[in-house]
Amino acid sequence: MIHPIPLWQRTWVRIVAGLAVLVLLGGTTGAILLTQIPPEQPIKFPHRTHVGLGASCFYCHPAAAWGPTAGLPSSAKCWGCHQQIQKQSPELTKLAEYVKNDKPIPWVPVAIQPDFVHFNHRPHVAAGVKCETCHGDMTKMTVAEPQPRQNMGWCLDCHKKMRLDNFTYLSDCSICHY
Amino acid sequence: MSGKVTRREFFKLTSAGAAAAVLTGCGPASRYVVRRPYTNMPEYNQTGLSTYYATTCRECPAGCGLIVRTLEGRALLVEGNPNHPVNKGKLCARGITAIQGLYNPDRIKAPVKITSRGNESFTPLDWNAAIKVVSDALKNTPPDQIAFLLGLVPDHLLDLVTELTKTIGAAAPISYHALATFDSRNTLLEATKLAYAKAAFPIFDLGQADVTLCFGANFLETWLSPVSYSKAYGQMRQGRFGKRGYLISFEPRMSLTSGNADEWHPVIPGTEGLVALAIGRLVSQIKGINIPPIFAGVDISVVSKASGLTEADLRHIAALYANAAQPLAIPGGGALGHTNGLENGQAILALNLLVKNTAKPGGVFLSPLPASGGALGEVKKLIQQMNDGNVKVLFIHGVNPIFDLPGSFKFKEALSKVPLVISFATYPDETALQCDYILPDHSNLESFGFSQVLPAGDRPIYSASQPVVAPLFNTRATADVLLAAAQAAGGNLSILRYTDQVEFIQSRLISLVKASDGLYTAPDIETFWTFWLQYGGWWKATPALESPAASGLLEKTLSISAPRAIESGKFFLVPYSTQLGDGNGANRPWLQETPHPMTTAMWNTWVEIHPDTAAKLNIKNDDVVQITSPTGSIEAIAYLYPAIRPDTIAIPFGQGHTALGQFAKGRGSNPMLLIESGLNQAGDLALGDTQVNLAATGKQQKLARQESITGVYGKH
Repeated sequence: MIHPIPLWQRTWVRIVAGLAVLVLLGGTTGAILLTQIPPEQPIKFPHRTHVGLGASCFYCHPAAAWGPTAGLPSSAKCWGCHQQIQKQSPELTKLAEYVKNDKPIPWVPVAIQPDFVHFNHRPHVAAGVKCETCHGDMTKMTVAEPQPRQNMGWCLDCHKKMRLDNFTYLSDCSICHY
Repeated sequence: MSGKVTRREFFKLTSAGAAAAVLTGCGPASRYVVRRPYTNMPEYNQTGLSTYYATTCRECPAGCGLIVRTLEGRALLVEGNPNHPVNKGKLCARGITAIQGLYNPDRIKAPVKITSRGNESFTPLDWNAAIKVVSDALKNTPPDQIAFLLGLVPDHLLDLVTELTKTIGAAAPISYHALATFDSRNTLLEATKLAYAKAAFPIFDLGQADVTLCFGANFLETWLSPVSYSKAYGQMRQGRFGKRGYLISFEPRMSLTSGNADEWHPVIPGTEGLVALAIGRLVSQIKGINIPPIFAGVDISVVSKASGLTEADLRHIAALYANAAQPLAIPGGGALGHTNGLENGQAILALNLLVKNTAKPGGVFLSPLPASGGALGEVKKLIQQMNDGNVKVLFIHGVNPIFDLPGSFKFKEALSKVPLVISFATYPDETALQCDYILPDHSNLESFGFSQVLPAGDRPIYSASQPVVAPLFNTRATADVLLAAAQAAGGNLSILRYTDQVEFIQSRLISLVKASDGLYTAPDIETFWTFWLQYGGWWKATPALESPAASGLLEKTLSISAPRAIESGKFFLVPYSTQLGDGNGANRPWLQETPHPMTTAMWNTWVEIHPDTAAKLNIKNDDVVQITSPTGSIEAIAYLYPAIRPDTIAIPFGQGHTALGQFAKGRGSNPMLLIESGLNQAGDLALGDTQVNLAATGKQQKLARQESITGVYGKH
């Protein structure tokens, strides 16, 4: 009796399977890479320039001090200064276009957690946690960059340093997951 | 596949599949999301979080406090302000639809000139030209030929126009409102003056009363301050342990209030005062006291015959009232809107004086706030002046006289004699389209202002209005337009040197800044203003109801003329107000869709006819019926309604618009076309005195109802 070659030993099957695995791996690597690099923003806003000039984080993100999310400034905030400070720059030209056409700037969010995590800025700011602790050193960044490995373990690493009764309070899951 | 799968192969396959699945799930899906913070966001706003503003409702003159929820510059939801003394967090159907007023597709979006009156062809105008029209009119017209016609709210505009007219020597602004007409507020204020020595709004402490006689006051629907009194009604029924309160209602047609009452007595319209006198006499007899002169002249059997109540009923009601611990009697528009309305009002208020419930829990207090009843008498005089050609410039704001005045007033004809009419309407209503210019005011949710005339205000209140969104269109606050025009006109008008209406409003609030008994104190007007906006106004921290002074009403002799007997073949007409308010609610789809509480009818005008009467006239449900009075004739759809006197028909007011946008236009008919123009002694319309003919037309039109038409009263 003729014994045919099993499917998994045939050359063409092995080549196709290999290509499929390569495509999947490539796609996955790309996806993970995308989450780790700063995303493409409509305007290459240079944080380091503005921080260097002395602007406080809370000037553009005031809600970090009193609310759950820091939020993004409206283009009126940018235009407040830049209607006068007209350095020649392709980025400022883009800003002027947005303001002239009264169109909102489609910023891509960077420091975001999955939807089931509700992070609240206010208690952290009130406790004196500095912005750069979680968001990185803005004096070195243009657009905002995602900070690697900001998962629950990383949050707890810092929270373990709290006073014991405050840390125990956090053992209620629904404080952050609701 | 060849033969069986081995364990090793199985694990390889599943782990490869799982790995593939996990790997492709990496990365947050939110990476592909974009945030668009809006371009001119106030500092305290957050994308994705709601911002709440406190303001005041202007859908009716009650002036309830609102909290409006907005998200990223759009208004989402209107709710009551829990801190506000008038409504304490509750709201009625009309208030909730303020949003539909804001986002109404038919709003007038910019100042326009109307090239020929009555045509909806608008010529656009810019605001500088518009202000010049106003300033030229103020400058170049003799002041005694300028007139202002305003609605009953808001008060900051009334104050400004009063100051403006006083400065130039023109007549003071005339204010009226259709709901004030339905409540006969002038009659109520005049009767209160006679009974309690002050023309203030009486506050009836319904929440603490245990037997209440309600004469035509539909407080669960539209009377005076429905939200406030509805809350009090709930208090009366369930607020006190072991005591449920007892409500007896007297009106020819069952309203929601009568429907909730424990007893409803369908009296002949206009006889409420006689009934009150009879009850007063019987109560005095039951209590064994000397019958006060006001009740002495009445004959029980005459009243029984005139009103339709049996003597047994009268005695039964009197017994309940006499033996109550907290008895209360309330006069409403149903009793006061008659030629004998002022006498009716005095008789009913005398019932309160008889049981000495003045300034007691469950009794009658006076509101400390300024009161206004709507100056219909002045409106009539104005129409006469217009007809005589003595009015060269007329400004109209917040009111739609062509629609909500009786047709017999002939306002439209008078308007055609005025050379320049300027409207500040927000919506293209019937009156605005007959003007020469429409300089649209902001809608209520886009306006600053304050209201003081609040019928259920139990303490000094200044209820604040503030914009909850940036104005959507090229509209401008009328107060700002008038201030700019005053500056442009110059002359003696330049003393109105306020930069804008906010400065004007602040100038009116200065006296409150140092007040110590209010909701908050502030060292200066700027700080006061931030609290003012935050809380939605300023009011005294605790209730400050006034105790009325004694008056000699009980010692007066009062003779009440019986109403005109019903002519053969005719019917008493009861026009009544619904959630459509003064008719402005007709362009709100939510209000059109809201089933009427007693009939569940929607989107149309109907006439309530007793089934026996309908049978005699061979009228069935959904027949189109013609109703004719000496002044006019309308058609409406028949609704067989057993809860009405067989000699009476009732028609809801609010529909029958010929303009006011796509949701209101060409829908239903306007019962005001049937009403005669006679005013009673206090200057209110004798709304309840019209008698009409009824005739089937042979046509049918299905009336939209939420209930089943055959339900209870038809074949099953």
